Order: sequence, then C-alpha cells, then structure tokens
Amino acid sequence: MRDRGWNERPSSDVVRRHRPDYLILLFMGLLMLIGLVTLYAIGPQRANVLNNSYGSNYGPTYFFVKQIISLAVALVGFVIFATVPYEWVLKQGKKLLWIGLGLCAVLFIAGVARLSIAPPTLGAVRWFQLGIFGSIQPAELLKFGILVFLGGFIGLRAKQGHVNDLYKTLIPVAAVTTISLLFVVILQKDLGTGVAITGIIAAMMMIGGVNKRIGIIALITLAVIGSIFIVIEPNRVQRIVTYTGGSDAQGGNRYQIDNALIAIGTGGLTGVGIGNSVQASGYLPEATNDSVFAIMGEIFGFIGLMVILLILFGLLMRLLSIMDHLVDIRLKLLVAGVFGWFGTHVILNIAAIIGVFPLTGITLPLLSFGGTSLIFLTAALGLVFQLSRYTVHSSRLAKVGDSKHEDSGSRRRVGRTRYASRCSS
Amino acid sequence: MKLELLKGSRTRILAAVILAIVAIFVVRLFYLQVVKYDYYVGLAKAEQQSRFVIPASRGIIYAKSGTAIVPMVMNETVYTVFADPATVKDKTKITDTLRQVAGGNVRADFAQLLSTPNSRYQILATKVTRTQADKIKAANLSGIGFQAVSQRVYPEGSLGAQVLGFVDTTGQGRYGVENYQNDALKGVDGYLKAVTDVNNVPLTIGNDNVSQPAVNGKNIVLSLDRNIQSYVESALAAGLQRSGAKKGSVLVMDPNNGKVLAMANLPTYDPANYGQVSDVAAFNNDTISAPYEPGSDVKTYTLATGIDKGVVKASDTYNNTDYIKVGDIIISNATLGRTGNITFQTALTWSLNTGFVTIAQRLGDGTNITKSARDIMYDYFHNRFGLGSLTGIELANEAPGTVISPDTVQGNAVRYSNMAFGQGLDATLIQVASGFSAIVNGGSFYKPTIIDGYMTDTGFKQNATPKPIRTNIIAQSTSVQVKQATRDARATSFGRTDKPGYYIGGKTGTSQVIVNGQYSNSETIGTYLGFGGSSIDTPRYVIMVQVSGKDQKLGGAQDALPIFTNISNWMLDYLKIQPKG
Repeated sequence: MRDRGWNERPSSDVVRRHRPDYLILLFMGLLMLIGLVTLYAIGPQRANVLNNSYGSNYGPTYFFVKQIISLAVALVGFVIFATVPYEWVLKQGKKLLWIGLGLCAVLFIAGVARLSIAPPTLGAVRWFQLGIFGSIQPAELLKFGILVFLGGFIGLRAKQGHVNDLYKTLIPVAAVTTISLLFVVILQKDLGTGVAITGIIAAMMMIGGVNKRIGIIALITLAVIGSIFIVIEPNRVQRIVTYTGGSDAQGGNRYQIDNALIAIGTGGLTGVGIGNSVQASGYLPEATNDSVFAIMGEIFGFIGLMVILLILFGLLMRLLSIMDHLVDIRLKLLVAGVFGWFGTHVILNIAAIIGVFPLTGITLPLLSFGGTSLIFLTAALGLVFQLSRYTVHSSRLAKVGDSKHEDSGSRRRVGRTRYASRCSS
Repeated sequence: MKLELLKGSRTRILAAVILAIVAIFVVRLFYLQVVKYDYYVGLAKAEQQSRFVIPASRGIIYAKSGTAIVPMVMNETVYTVFADPATVKDKTKITDTLRQVAGGNVRADFAQLLSTPNSRYQILATKVTRTQADKIKAANLSGIGFQAVSQRVYPEGSLGAQVLGFVDTTGQGRYGVENYQNDALKGVDGYLKAVTDVNNVPLTIGNDNVSQPAVNGKNIVLSLDRNIQSYVESALAAGLQRSGAKKGSVLVMDPNNGKVLAMANLPTYDPANYGQVSDVAAFNNDTISAPYEPGSDVKTYTLATGIDKGVVKASDTYNNTDYIKVGDIIISNATLGRTGNITFQTALTWSLNTGFVTIAQRLGDGTNITKSARDIMYDYFHNRFGLGSLTGIELANEAPGTVISPDTVQGNAVRYSNMAFGQGLDATLIQVASGFSAIVNGGSFYKPTIIDGYMTDTGFKQNATPKPIRTNIIAQSTSVQVKQATRDARATSFGRTDKPGYYIGGKTGTSQVIVNGQYSNSETIGTYLGFGGSSIDTPRYVIMVQVSGKDQKLGGAQDALPIFTNISNWMLDYLKIQPKG
C-alpha cells in the first residue's frame, strides 16, 4: 500500500487519531449531574415512601449514595471503553453476545428454580440480586453485546456488499433479534428493553444500508408480531387502554401517567424548586426511575426541561454527527447502535411520561436512578468517545478519492475549521 | 454546533426524525406546564392537600385540699396499636411481643388480624400505656404503628363522681362539670392544612400550609374540698349502712359565700369505667337534679318568714290540738300529745305541723291563709330563698323544682298550709341548703357555686369573692332568732352528740312521698338540715343530708341526723374552729 501515495489510499486506513469530541463528555456529565441533583433532592422522600409502603429500611441518603457509586462505576466503564482500542472491543463482539444471552438463560433458570439471587418482580425475573453488590440486569449486558457483535457483523457484510443478502445477513440478524427478544420480552416481560434492543438493531441496519423494501418488510413483521404479543399478554393491552384514556381508571398505569402529568404541570414555567417536590413523596410511582423526567418537570419547570431536552438533543445530534463523519462502516454502525439505544430510551421514556405514547417501562438514560443501565450505556458512550477520535471532515467524505492534494481532513475533528488543526498555540 | 451531516444521507433522516419528535415534546411540555399550569395545580391541590385536626388538650379538673390544689381529673395518653398487614413481616415476633408486653390490652383475635388480606389497618390492642408502647417500639417490629389517644384518669377514683361527670368516647362531657363546662374544658381544636405525602404525613413544602394552633381547655379548680368530700362520702356510706337506706345525698356548703365544699351521692360509680355502670341513675347528682318535697326542713323558712314579717316570735304561743282544719282538710301532727298552749319553739323542736300552719294563718288574717299570706310565703320561699327555681350552679342537669304561685288555682290555702311544713312543693337539696345559708348568714343569698377558679400557666387564679345576689332577704334579727330556734330544737333532743362549745343548729325532716298520686305511708325521705360554727354569729358550714329508698320509711331524726352529726363534728376539727363558751 505504501507505494500508492496519499491520494490512492482507502480512506479508512489513513484516518489519524485526533482529539476526541469532548461535547460527548460534557453533555453526559451535565445529564449525570442533573440526575444526581434530582436524586439528592427526592431521595429521602423516596426512601420514606418505600419504608412506609413496604416496610423496608432505606436511609435518607441511600439513593444518593448508591447513585454516586453507580456513577463512579459508570465513569470507570466510560474510561475503559474510551481507551481500550476499538479493534479489540470489536473482536469481543461474539463473546459479549454469548455472555449476555448466557446470563439471560441462567437468570431464567435461576428464576424457575426460585433461587434467592433471582427474585421475581412484578411477575417476572429481571435481575440478579447479588447482596451488597446490588442487582445486575443481564439484559443491559445483552444490549451491549448485541451492539458490539452486530457492529462487527453487519459492518463486515456491508464491506462485502451483502447487507441485503437474505442468508448472509438478514437471517442471522433476525435470529439474534428474535432470540434476544425472546429472553427479554417474553421471559423477562421487559417490553422497554425489548424496544431498546429493536431500536439498536434497527438503527444499525438502517445505517448499514439495508434497502427500503427490506426495512419496510422488517418493520411490518415487527408490528405484526408485536400486536400478537400485545394481544397475548393482557398486561400490555391494559397499557394501550390506559394510554387511550379508557375505562381502566383504577389501573396503576393510568395512575402513573396522571400523576406524571400533575408533576409536570405543577412545575409551571420555572418549577417548584429543589426539595419542594410533592409528587415525589409517593404520589408518583417510580419517581426516581422511569418517572424521573416528570419529577424534573416539577422541580425545574418548563425552562429546566427545555435545558434538559436541549442537552439530550445535543447528545443525540453529536452521535449522529460523529457517525456521519466516521469512515469505517463498523465504527459507523457502533455509533448508530448507541444512537438507537440512547434515542429509544429518551424518546419512549419522555413520550410516555408526557402522555403522548403508551408506557413501556423504560428508563431515562443518565438521569434515572439505576445502576446497570447507566453503567452499560456510559460504557457505550465511552466507546463512541473513543471513536470520535477517528472522524474526518465532511468534505473528505463527499469526495473520497477525488482529491489531488494531501488530504488533511483526517486530522480534523468535526466542527473545526480547516485551519484549526494547523494552529499549534 | 455545526453538524455537517452529509446531504441526502440516512443520518439526515434520523436527525430530522429526532428534531420532529423533540419539537413535539417541546410543544407538549409548553402546553402542560405553561398553558395548563393552573389546571394541574388544582389537580395537585385536590390530591395532595389534607386538613389535620390538632386536638386541644382537655382541661384538668382540680379540687381543693385545704388550701392546696389537687387534681381530680387528668389526661393520660394511651396508645392504640395497629398493624399494616401489607408490611407485616415477622408475625410470630409480633404476636409474642404483644402478648408479653400488653397481654391484657390485645384484641382476642389479633393474631389472625395480622393476616387480613387487602387491608392496611387493623387494630391489635387498645389503651396501651406509654411504657408498654415504648417496649413494643423497642422490639422494632415492621408493620406495627401507634396512635395516641387521650383519655381521662381519676387520681381520686370515684370521689365526687357525680360532680365531675365523665367524658364519653366522642370526647363529649357527660354529667356534672364535664358536661356543664364542656366548652371551656374542651378548648378549641387547632388545624393544619398542609400538603401531605401519599401516606398523609404532612410535608413542610408549599406556601399554602395553614396552621392554626389548638387552644387548650381551661383547667377548672372546684370549690370542692377533697378531704371533706372524702369524709362525707364515707360518713354517708356508714350512715346508709346503719339505716339500711338505699340512697343518700349530702351537701356541704359555706353559708358565707355559697361555695359547695362537698357534694356526695350514693350509690356512686367509677368514672374511669363509666361504661360498666348498669343503672344510669348512679350518674345523677341528686343534690341538684332530684327535686323532692323537702318536708319539715322548710319549717325554718316558715318561721323565718313569720318572724321577719313580725307576726310571730319563737316564744309566742298558740293552742295546739294536734289537728288543724284548713278549708275542707284536716292537718295533723306527726308527733302527738304536746297539746295545749305551747310556744312556736316547742312546735319547731317537736316538728309540729299545726304550729307552722298557724304561722301561715297569722301571715293572713289570723285564721285563714289569705291571698296576701300566700303572696308573702311565695315571695319568701320562691323569690327570696330560691325554692323552685334553678340556682345556676355550674353543674349539668340541674332541675328547678316547683313552687306553685298563689296566682294560680293550685296555689290555694290548702296547698300553702302544706307548704308551711314543707309539703306540696318540689325543691332540690341545693335550693334548700342555699336558702338556709341565707337564713343563717344574716340574710344574704349567695348563688351556690362549685367553681372556685382556674389553673393557668401562672398558677391558681381564684374567681372574685362571690357577692350575694340578693341581700337583706330577711332581717339580721330574724336570722339570729331562727338560728337560736334551730339550735334550741337540736339541743333539746340531740345536743349531747355535738362537741361541746360550738354553736350547732338544725332541723329534721321526714317528707312524705307521693306514690300514685297519694301521699304514701310506706315511703318517707329522711333529711337533716343544719349549720355549725363557734358562735351564733359565725356559722361556718351548712350541711344537708338526705336518705331515701323505694318503699323505705326513713326518718330525719333516726336516719339523716346521725350522718349530719358525724360530719359536723369532723368539720369542726377539720376547719380548726375554736370552741367558744
């Protein structure tokens, strides 16, 4: 390759490592901080509610301290995946996927055997209870496994030009999807995580270049299967009924949405302020987890929510931008997966809480209380952070192989001027 | 932030989708938080705000003990132990602990109640003391809660039960001071309007919290002296035992200010366990609520009226034939044989009815109880001495009794001849004793009172010294003459039982009771009305005793008088009255 000169080189080979996109870190940090502040404000109330309702014995700082620990672990994960070379990570894709699926299987068996490490919650076994180490949700690891594995797999097929090949690509991807959803949606009854997995895979396939026809067929298939599951599982029918504001006024979901709306509505323009949330004192279920956006609406008001939305939107846009400026299709796909992951969580959670979409029971990433999902999503963002070192300038992308001059685009990060990289001081 | 996304790429489509969704979110949030703000604030208020009552603590009732002040009724906080079956964890530990610590207070089936499905509140034990509650709390049982309940406690047991009354389960005072002074004792409950958490625990959040502190009830100090009351109750009990009478009442008051020093009724009850009383008659304070025909005690009134009007003196004489005809009826004496020309003093001493009918006649034209005689008697009995009208003592269920006015058909000469010796009118012990107090204190009528003042944060605040509500209702000289007459009446037959050196006077009464519209010969009420002091000018107490019983013939001299004597002699010691001459 060496003899061919700069212009002849395939673009993916020559992208130089440059400064990463610190906006990712900034947005992520801001969201974590907002989540932590909120949790600090409502943690004592939450502990009080749980103690009164379930006879538990949480201290007032339980949630705050636990979230700090989770954040610390998550940041370690971020640093690891921001530094461990992505090539190595990509090679672990198959392993991670198998571990994820294996743990889900073990969880299911442990749940059937009624082991204490697999306690049933709301009629399903979703996590391992590991004593002082807290609980671990294997579905989150599975998401990560799917992300890395399919990043490598679809990437390879895309490079080979076989993305739309039924046997080489579509069936294996459909198989991974089906097995994962089987574990998550059917056995763990966790529709939210199932939707997130679908989001990850859909985003990757879309960016991987699957053609429109196949994409539409896949979406229709998913819709049909989804409807069948919804009909089979009455608990989901109820969610739809709840959403449409139907007769199920007694239902817990209607109650949750009603109180989420009350929380958001009472926030007004500027919010009731930190420490003044009333809805967090037990009226709003899942106040620290799935409903945290509503509590933030109550505390920080419309203005506060606009800031939070802006940061979430900004982070999503950074992901898209990085994805667009990566040359290696596998890396593009990794970022697309993270985008699908993060985007599904954000959109489905907020849409449900503000009452424009049925509840799916999905967390608001980086803002909700909760260890496992936070840790794996942060790790995924760490990976994106690493990948943001390998972006190229858009003009380079537009005219790959069409330049007579030395291409300096590879040294530039997204959004910097042509001359910025030359300036040493 | 420039995205520099490639034109026409799928990335752009994703960006557009995200942008559109976020735009929907922004519009929706603007609608919820800005447009519909008031609507949701209203919803939140309806859901979050509760009103709590801050109970006012009920006033304590004190009595005197000499000059000291002692509590008669206090409050005690007891606890109701309840379970939230949904959060109950260790059932065996709960049942064991409760049985061990509060075995007497638990409900019989409390162990089963712990497992009540779909319930979050089950009462396990009631009236658990603070010590017991602390022990249960120390066991750290999950799913167990406590509710403080205030209840009345009676350090003196059943002492003065009918005077005190009790507080029922709704917090309402019943009978006695508790009822009459209910509003003062109760105080005013405060309230707290506050935002609460989902378990209805008030939060300090928000600007709409309204707190109105409770105003605690007044602490009442009775004029009742617990030592006198205690002695009176035991003396009465002993007297009833001696005579076999079923019921008895004693009233002790200070004739110089109308303050009631003791008020006892037997049978009585234990106000702490008022619910276990089978005959509610035990709740009644007969001294104020049971009018009866007072009988010969009222002869002192007739004598006072006659003397005050100047128509008789105790030493004046009349011709006693043991019978006297008024209209178409013949009135006879209960004690026969003292015929001839005798003094009114003799008539009083032997309680001869004819003497007092004669006084009534002399108030008229000498042979008839004319309208003007009846007007005079009504004026003295009713208007001056206060028979047949409410005294206004601060106790519930006071009955007025009846004195029939001469202006009515019923108020004829026959009736007034009967009234001259205490029949044909209804009065309560408190009325008779109050009127008699005015006779012995020189003619000042005090409203009988049982409240001496209030206990405040700064200490005992005594009511202003009572002023007579009617003065000079009889002349001072009349008072002296009646006192002498009653003293002589007592000294003649019973003086030996009194401590020497004191001035004690009194009058027996044996009243007939109307049974089925007829004066019964098989049921009489025995009473004694008297006063005592070191000299004629310093009467210190008036004691009135009544013993009665259905189908029991009880006499003033045999059955009521010994109780008076017992109490009177004790009072002389208790009040440290120095003997004179």
